[in-house]
Amino acid sequence: MDAAGRPDDEVSPAPGEAGGAGADGDLPEAAGRRLGGGSFSSGLTVPDFAACLQMGLRPVGLVQGFCVMQWGWYGAGSPYLRGMTPYSFGGSAPRGVYSESYRCPHGGFAYSNEHRIWGQNYQQPWVESAWGQGFGSAYTRLVEEAQEVGAHGVIGVVDSTRHLADMNVTEFHILGTAVVVEGGGPPPGGTPWTTYLAGQRLAKLVEAGYMPVSVVAALASVRVWAYCVTEILMEGTLTAWGGSGYMPVAEVEQLSRAHMAARSLAREHVRGQLGNDNLQGAQIVANTQRLSQGDEVIECTLRGTRVRRFKDFDPLPAPRPTVRLS
Amino acid sequence: MSERLWASPAPDGSDLRAEMRRAAQSLAAPAHDQRARAVTSDLSVDESLLLHSIGWEAVELVFGSSLVSIPPGVWSWGSGEIGAASEAHNLAVRSAAAHLGDQCSAVHGHGVVGVRVEVEVQRHHVDVELTGTAVRPVKGKEPNRVFVSDLSARDFTLLHNAGWGPIGLAFGASFVYAPRRSVGTTMRQSSQNVELTNFTEAMYSAREAGMEHMQRSALDMGAQGIVAVRVAEGPMWFAHHAIGFTAWGTAVRLEAESHQYLHPHVVLPLDDVSVEFEAQSLR
Repeated sequence: MDAAGRPDDEVSPAPGEAGGAGADGDLPEAAGRRLGGGSFSSGLTVPDFAACLQMGLRPVGLVQGFCVMQWGWYGAGSPYLRGMTPYSFGGSAPRGVYSESYRCPHGGFAYSNEHRIWGQNYQQPWVESAWGQGFGSAYTRLVEEAQEVGAHGVIGVVDSTRHLADMNVTEFHILGTAVVVEGGGPPPGGTPWTTYLAGQRLAKLVEAGYMPVSVVAALASVRVWAYCVTEILMEGTLTAWGGSGYMPVAEVEQLSRAHMAARSLAREHVRGQLGNDNLQGAQIVANTQRLSQGDEVIECTLRGTRVRRFKDFDPLPAPRPTVRLS
Repeated sequence: MSERLWASPAPDGSDLRAEMRRAAQSLAAPAHDQRARAVTSDLSVDESLLLHSIGWEAVELVFGSSLVSIPPGVWSWGSGEIGAASEAHNLAVRSAAAHLGDQCSAVHGHGVVGVRVEVEVQRHHVDVELTGTAVRPVKGKEPNRVFVSDLSARDFTLLHNAGWGPIGLAFGASFVYAPRRSVGTTMRQSSQNVELTNFTEAMYSAREAGMEHMQRSALDMGAQGIVAVRVAEGPMWFAHHAIGFTAWGTAVRLEAESHQYLHPHVVLPLDDVSVEFEAQSLR
């Protein structure tokens, strides 16, 4: 993803790979007509609208970006390619890519063709970069619309993904309200800043000494190819060899580590987009697709607003506790 | 759109407008502190400000995950508590909390607040996912032990001001069988309005045992009590004859010499609690 390699002080956001229609200045004709229509539009609630006027933010248009992606190849390790690992058996993944291997502890005893003598947890960077391309393209188109109306920033950003038309097609949709800072100059580099916040929450952020830089988001994908111990524990098989016997309560280490890895990878992907700035209001969503025999695909999405401190914290008065009489 | 629409001065917002302009202009400069490690947090702006008011700050978004297996056959008919399931549940929580604490320690946090607890009980395993924000005092030494708490940053601030501190997440779970009635009892009761004592006793037993486990885990941590207890209960979709009960909360201990009374101010809001008239009522 392009965000990982960006300079720390670069304001241009693009939390994913940009490209395709819209990135080259070819907005649909309808978008040009709408944005030049002579009235502003906004996705803000009335309280948020009022709060933004109070801050000197003037709405100039509802801006949006879309990208429809087809998942034609989910990569090695997909349910359709079970048993194929993208990384060498027993070996390690390329530098910077998460991978752990697990070996059967049963010492070559009572093996059969179905006994899983080897398993692996591995990161799926091809899935992550495809997600980044979809999100990044939609985001770039949103920013392009904002530039079209001369905006300084985009507030109240909302993003969503949904399946479209077919199970292998996903639409990325991002929208927000483009605003101009009254009395302010154009943003550095001409690229508007963006934030998930709006209204009083944005006002409080600025008063606390932080300025939004951009929305940031990343997906981490980890594939679990279970080995025999994980399979036994997850499937409730009585013993390793199918006979009777006592199996104690035990942590399924391979899966615990995979779930931790997916979340940590998402955090590191976002951290790579932050430079020296901070992440405010993080939202993390994890989805686990259970396949069979302990196999899983864990996908974790982390999003939030990259914020930059522009002044030191003012000492805050201690909050005064109150009790409502009504 | 006429520019005059926006040109009217805001009587009380002039300082905020100047601050906004200053903030926007600051983007041309690099980050305030180039050496600082980026902070990641799922706290709201309000929560960050509240933490700052007591001299604490967010450090890192941290996670703890654990999957623990449940041995086969434990959900079949029996009587009393299903010990293996309760044990698996408690082990999964302890292990996830330990992972969360390790991540907190790695970034020099003193504890984790606002922990979101997600528990899934399946026939053969229990999954626990904990997510929260590691926090620390702005000026503080390394702690001897980090705490894990599902209290929000707002509640943590209130607790702190009252002289109390969180110790950890107290958790208790219990799974019990609801034994079958005999054929004779079932026949006899089929046309009666009667208490189903097998279910009453199972629910009673599960609740008491679950809360006992929770209190035991708090005592083991050296806590004096538990606040903000939450419960979840009901049959499992894969074993309707078994009742599960889970209770959890934040174990706390008095850190000041005595409880600090907050003396809250009484306020009387003037906004209408109920709307007496709506235009839609004319339709």
